[in-house]
Parts: sequence; C-alpha cells; structure tokens
Amino acid sequence: MGLLEPLLRTSPLTLAAVLVLSPALFGLVVFGVRTKWSRKGVVTVAGWVLTLAAAAVFAIAFVGRAALTATLPADAAPWSLLVAGGDLALLAAILVIAVRFRSVKVLLAALVQLAVVLYAEFAGGHAAEAAPAVFIDWLSVVMVMIVSVIGSIIVVYGLPYMKEHERHLGIDEAGSHRPGFFLTMLVFLGAMNGLVIFDDLRWVFFFWEVTTLCSFLLIRHDATELANTNALRALWMNTLGGVGFAVAIALFGAHAQTYSVQALLRSPMGAAASVPIVAALACLMFAAFTKSAQMPFHSWLLGAMVAPTPVSALLHSSTMVKAGVYLLMRFAPAFHGTQLSNVLAIAGGFTFVATAFLAIGQTNAKKILAYSTISNLGLIIACTGLNRPLALAAAVMLLIFHALSKGLLFMACGVVEHGIHSRDIEDMQGLVNRMPLTTLIMVIGILSMLLPPFGVLIAKLAAIEASVHLPLAMGMLVIGSTLTVAFWTKWTGRLLTSEPGAVHPKIEHLHVMYFVPLVLLTVGAVAFSLAVFPLLTELVEPAVTQYYALVSGAAGGVDLSSDVLAVPWGLVFGFMAIAVAVPALLTRTRPDEEVGAYMCGEQIETPNGSGFITAAEQSCALSIRGHYFERYVGEETHALWMTVVAALLLAGMFGAVAIR
Amino acid sequence: MMAEYLAALAAVLVAPFIGGVLMGVDRIVSARLQSRQGPPLFQPFYDILKLFAKRRMAANTFQMISVSVYLASMVLSLALLVMGQDLLVLLFILALGNIMLILGGFSVKSPYSQLGSQREVLVLLAYEPLLVCMVVGAYIMTGSFSAASVFGLDRPLALSMPAFVVTQALVMAMKLHKSPFDVSASHHAHQELVRGLYTEFSGPQMAVIELAHLYELVLLLGFIALFWHTNLAVGIALALACHGAVIILDNISARMTTRWMFGFTWSFGLALAAANLAALYATGPLPR
Repeated sequence: MGLLEPLLRTSPLTLAAVLVLSPALFGLVVFGVRTKWSRKGVVTVAGWVLTLAAAAVFAIAFVGRAALTATLPADAAPWSLLVAGGDLALLAAILVIAVRFRSVKVLLAALVQLAVVLYAEFAGGHAAEAAPAVFIDWLSVVMVMIVSVIGSIIVVYGLPYMKEHERHLGIDEAGSHRPGFFLTMLVFLGAMNGLVIFDDLRWVFFFWEVTTLCSFLLIRHDATELANTNALRALWMNTLGGVGFAVAIALFGAHAQTYSVQALLRSPMGAAASVPIVAALACLMFAAFTKSAQMPFHSWLLGAMVAPTPVSALLHSSTMVKAGVYLLMRFAPAFHGTQLSNVLAIAGGFTFVATAFLAIGQTNAKKILAYSTISNLGLIIACTGLNRPLALAAAVMLLIFHALSKGLLFMACGVVEHGIHSRDIEDMQGLVNRMPLTTLIMVIGILSMLLPPFGVLIAKLAAIEASVHLPLAMGMLVIGSTLTVAFWTKWTGRLLTSEPGAVHPKIEHLHVMYFVPLVLLTVGAVAFSLAVFPLLTELVEPAVTQYYALVSGAAGGVDLSSDVLAVPWGLVFGFMAIAVAVPALLTRTRPDEEVGAYMCGEQIETPNGSGFITAAEQSCALSIRGHYFERYVGEETHALWMTVVAALLLAGMFGAVAIR
Repeated sequence: MMAEYLAALAAVLVAPFIGGVLMGVDRIVSARLQSRQGPPLFQPFYDILKLFAKRRMAANTFQMISVSVYLASMVLSLALLVMGQDLLVLLFILALGNIMLILGGFSVKSPYSQLGSQREVLVLLAYEPLLVCMVVGAYIMTGSFSAASVFGLDRPLALSMPAFVVTQALVMAMKLHKSPFDVSASHHAHQELVRGLYTEFSGPQMAVIELAHLYELVLLLGFIALFWHTNLAVGIALALACHGAVIILDNISARMTTRWMFGFTWSFGLALAAANLAALYATGPLPR
C-alpha cells in the first residue's frame, strides 16, 4: 500500500489534468524536438504516464467505490469564455479547411453548426453559469482505461510502423511528417479522455469536435487524392453530427436550464420528459450515429482505411467511434422506457445485420475489419436501446472486448501489410507458413471476436438474452451473429491454408515495438476473457448499478443474473483448453507422415507447387481461391437500399420523439 | 449439483453406443431402401476401431487440433444439455466445433476440402438461425434459456412449438449431411466433391470425427426429445420418428445446390419459425 498511498490521494483534478493535457504537452515536445530518440522516448513516456493515470483513476474508484467528482475553481479562469472560444476556434479551423479544399458539404455543415453554436451561446441559453466539473463514474473509468491504455499501446506501435511507412513512400528523416502525426495522435487521446470525464455538456462538445478535427488530419495524413476525399467525407459527416450535438445543447440550455449531464439525468426524464428534451436526446443520437459511423453514415469509416494502420487501429478500437456509443450509454437512463429507445435498438440492430452481411463479400482485410467495427458498434447501440441492466452490461463488455480485439487485429494487419505488401486476404493465403507468429496472433484476434469462451461472444449472448422482449431487435441480433461467423471463418480459413510439406515454418522476426504491443493486446484479450466474471462483478456491474440507480431512483445493486452467465464456464474453459493443448503439444507430425493434398489420383509436382494433369495430358498448377459470393452480398447491389432503410430508421427516431 | 455432473458423465459414456447403433440402423435401412443387404448393425463401431488402427497421415498439425476441438465441443454440448444448462451457450459451443472442423478442412490446399469447407460455412449459416429461434421460443415459454427450465414445464413444448419440431428435423438433415442438404460433404465418395469437407482427414483423425458424429446424432435427437420432456418415451419416439423421416428423405431425394438449400431454409424454415414465434409472442407466457 505504501507506494499506492500517494497515488490514491491524488486529487481528481490533477488526474483530469494529466489525462487531458499531458498527451498534448508530450505531443508538443515531439513536435518541437525533432530527433529520432526524443520521439521514441517521449511517445513511450507519454504512454506510460497515461497508463499510470488511468490506473490511478481505476484504483481510486475501486477503493472509494464511488464516482470521482470535483469542480474546477470557478474564478481561476473565464471558463465559459474559454470553451466558447475553443468551439469557435475549432469551427474556424474547419471553415478554413472547407475553403482550402473547396468542399461545399464541409462548408455548409460548419456554417450551420456555427449558427447553432452562436445562438446557443448568445441568444438561447438560460442555464446558470457554473465552473466545469469532472465526473468520473465507472463508465468513465472503463472508457479512460480503454482510451489511455489501449490508445497508448497503439501509439507506441505507431513508432516503428510510421518509420517503415515513410521509408516505403521514400520520405527521408528531414521531411518526415511524423512529428505532426504523433502530436495529432496524442492530442486525440487527450481529447477522448476529456470527452469522458467532463460533466459539462459544452466541454464534452468541445472535445467531441477536437476528435472530429484530429480524425480529419489523421485520415488525410498521406495527402493523396483519395486520402483528401475520404478525410473530407469524414469531416462533413462528423461536422453534421456536431450540428445535432449543438442543437441538443441549445435545447437543454433553454428547456432544462442546465448543461450538467448529471443534473440532466436527474431531472424528469424518460416518459416524464417534455418534447423538447426528448428532441434533444434524438439530436444526441443523431450525433452519436455520425461519430460511431452507423448507417447511413458508415461510409466515412470505410474511407478512413486509406490512413496508415495505427490511425485505423486508434479510430476503430479505443477512440472516435467509441465516443458515439459512450454518449448514448451515458444518456441511456434519460431515454429509458421511451419509444425512442426502442427505435434506437432497431436502428442499431439494423446496422449490425446489414454491415455483417456486406462484410461477407469483401476481400480487403481492412475493409472487413471496418465493417466488423461498424457492426459491433451497431450491436452496442442496440444494447443501449434495449435499455435493460443485462443489455447495458453486455454493452460495457463489448466496449472492452471489442477495443482489445479490434486494436489487436488492426495492428496485426499492419504488420502483415508491411510483410507481404498487400491487405487482400486472398494474398494472405497460407500466411501461417510465411509469418507464423503474426498469423497466430491474428487468428487469436479473430477467434476472440466470435467463439466461446471469448468475451465478445459471451456479451453477444447476453445481448440476445436481453433482446427477447423486443422481437424485431432479437431477430436482427440472431441473424447478425450468424452472418458474423461467416466472414471471420472464411478469413481464418485463408490464413491457415497451407501447402503440405511446409508444416515447420520458421518464426519471423518482429520489431520489438511491434512485438510488445501485439503480445500485450493478445494477452489482454485472452486474460480478460478468462477473467470475464471478476471483470463483470468488479467493473461492469458497478457501472450498470450507477446507471440503473438513475432510472429507478433506488440505490443498491442491480440483478444481472442470467442463464448465460450461470453456465459453468470454468468447465467449458478447461475442457476446451485440454482439447487444444493435447494435440498441439503431444502430436508431432513426422516427415514420413506428411501427405500431399488428394487430387483424385492425378496429382503431380509442378514448379509452382502441387498440380494435376488436365484432360489433354497437360500439367496444371493448382490454385485455390476463397469464395466471396459477390453476386449475392455485393456492395453494389445492397449498400444503397440499406443506406436508405437506415436513413428512414434515423428519421423514425425523430418521429418517435412525438410519441415518446 | 453433483447429481447433474454424474448424469452428464453417464450420458457422455453411453451416448456413443446409442449413436453407433442408430447409425447402424440408418445404414441397414438405407441399404434395404436401395435393395442392398447392408452392413452389420455394429459396423459404425468396427469402422471407428479400424480407423483408429490406421497409420497416422496428416497434412499439418492443425488438423489434429481441429478434430480434437470438434469432438470436445460435441461432448461438452451433450453434457451441458443433460446438466440443464443454457441452450444459447450450448448452440455456440456446438458452432465452435463446427467452425474448427471447417478450419481443418480449409487448412489443406486441396480443391475438394476447400470447396467442402466453403459450402459448410453456408450450411452453418443456413441452420444456425433456426436453432437460435428454437431456443428463443423455449425462452418465451419458460422465461429462461436454460434447458433445466424446460424440464420444469408441465406441458410439452411440442404442443406450443410444433413448427420447431419440423425445423429441428431440417437442422438434423443438414447437420448429418443428408440429401438434399449434403452439399458440403457426402456419405459416399463417388461424386464430384469426393468427401468434401472430410477429404483430407484420414486414419485416427477420421476416427475422432466419426466418434464426434455419434455424439452429434445423440445431441440432435436429445434436442427433439426435449419437445416432449413430460413423458420421455414419447419424446424419444418423436426423436426417432424424425430420424426415420430424415433417413427416408435422404434416400428419396437428390442432392440440391447450396443456393437452393440456403433459399429453402431461410424462406421456408425461417418463415415457419417466425410464424410459431409470432404465435408464442401473442399467446405464450412472456414473463417480465
């Protein structure tokens, strides 16, 4: 305890400052002092500082068993002016970008947002002025840990990756774009932390917009034509989402007289809320749909794969898209028991099914991962809309497990891409013989997304159990889960396809800054899955209890008992571990036991590996391809109508405001 | 608790014998329908013993892991059913085994096993929603996903969920690779896919797969018997009747395409399931 004592006594304000400001300061050092070693050193130290701060937040919350709250000294700074100025500065930056790249969509979205922000600041708001407060409950703790720990791991992984990336593009050290890159990445992490720990909605909005701008800069990083186009698409969609957020703030200010999220959640909500308040909640949902890349706004996240892999890993696993679902989970008590909540569940469920369906037809690894991210976020949103304790528990678990697995998969993809210079899963055929270590990590990452006893699946089962009372959503969860199995299985199949005779591949060498982050996340994904029950009782249940107390007004625990969780998982874990370990450790195929593939008796060896004799006595090398059913699940055929349906569902959420 | 574990252990020990005899009956009945004499009743056991005695040949080490997990998932699923555990979890543990077997098929660069694996993914896609819908139906009736709560009902499920007896028979035909659903692997190697998914497994690996098939058969029959748990004799008769129907269907129908199978199960099968579920939502007890 001796060492922990000072850590536990750290004030929430100090921790908030470290979590939000220190990444930006370290980023400025990286930007200012341009030597190879300072970059490596400072980025790594920044990662450690963030990780320690997150650990401290967790420890304090764990020991104290209550939310960490603190208010910034009211007279220390002109807070309102500061946040309003920050918002306007960000909008000015977006307007400059719009003009510089001649993007009408960005311009329009930014101008509308500007109008709304100005109205809210000067004409609309009647809310009492208060210094911004920090409010860190269990949901925030979970988010801070995801952002700070997984985010840091990804940024450290970015060090060797970006070096290789620039070498590949022929950029020398003097013209390197890396200082700016790591500054943006670190500011991004700080902004995400700010987004989840501040209680004042205007501050949340400010950090929300910082992530929009950072993601634009990161997607545009390679400055190719495609990168520009896709970055601008991300920018206009997220700025449009920002409009929704700003409208919500204006409505809350005018009709609830407060910007404090906690005060809002304690005011009459749900079925008791007035129409403007429910409309504000629908606006927040709209904002969350853009940020979490839900249909019909999913195209920006698909386009974001042009960015270097660390950016994708960061956007998909620990930041950006998680901000949207966080906002919804945060406000879930407010729309509990409304029709709006049900429509939200169905809209999220629809994205879950539709994108899992589209993923089946893809061969681009990063695109499959992108569709899977959108799909899983849809599932989390569906859980939020189902709005029951078990569903919220499933959402929190998915938040954690998805961040681990998806960060891992993107990083592994990046390593593979540098190894084989392709991100097509057809080119990954037989990767197990070429990069066995990375393949093993990748396969664990994939299996952790879909198989028992890994956490994602347990959360998914809990989600299905929680959805039984909303049959339409239940149907979507069932079909979506099944479709998910298809594309992951086909991908894993490509990785493992191997030529006979190559069963003892040489383990490849990985850069230590690739190896450590990959292993950390692999171990994390497996360990958290094994420890799913302590995780549930120590982390998820308190989070859900704090949420549910706001709904029922009653203190005390919530009942998370479920048949899924009551299964003797120890037995399942143990049995499966034995089933894998016994053949893996005890059977060694001797060279004389190795056989080639069966070709119906016409097999020959060709210079290109196995082959067979064709009809005209010609030798023909064997080539194998995966099947992607493009004719049935192709994007060209389905993406349009799916987007239209999703847009209608989104409109339906605003329609549901009237009937509450 | 102890009694549950003992019952599960007993089921795991006895199941292969029941499964083997039923498979022997299947082979004799099929042979007679084709005007053949057919093998002895215990031929499935002789086959497995013979396969175990064969020299081990493998294309890679992963094949061994794949069949091992396949068997483990079947055994575990049966144990969980007997223990009255969560049916949803059981389904996904079952799927785990199938996915590992598919990956084993994918792991060899052979056209036959690759094609078989590709198609088996589609077979899995075709029957999985039917299974989950059945479990959801049971949830509506009992307010729980656990098999134990089905045991606790005083009215057989078949009376309120008749359509699911039909879908379970369809699932059985698909999982046992019976015509017209034997698209990914056939019981006979005399067609264009050879043995499809199983082509590259041989000797002891094949023996493990065949052993797992015995468990799978008992598990599938157990699912159907669950529909008349109040009188297990009726439940078993129902299960055997479904098995008989599947055997006859196998012998009177030709193999269809994957596309047809997929269209059929997702239209006819899911429509049946949805209609029954709708009726349950309208009338059944759905506790809050």
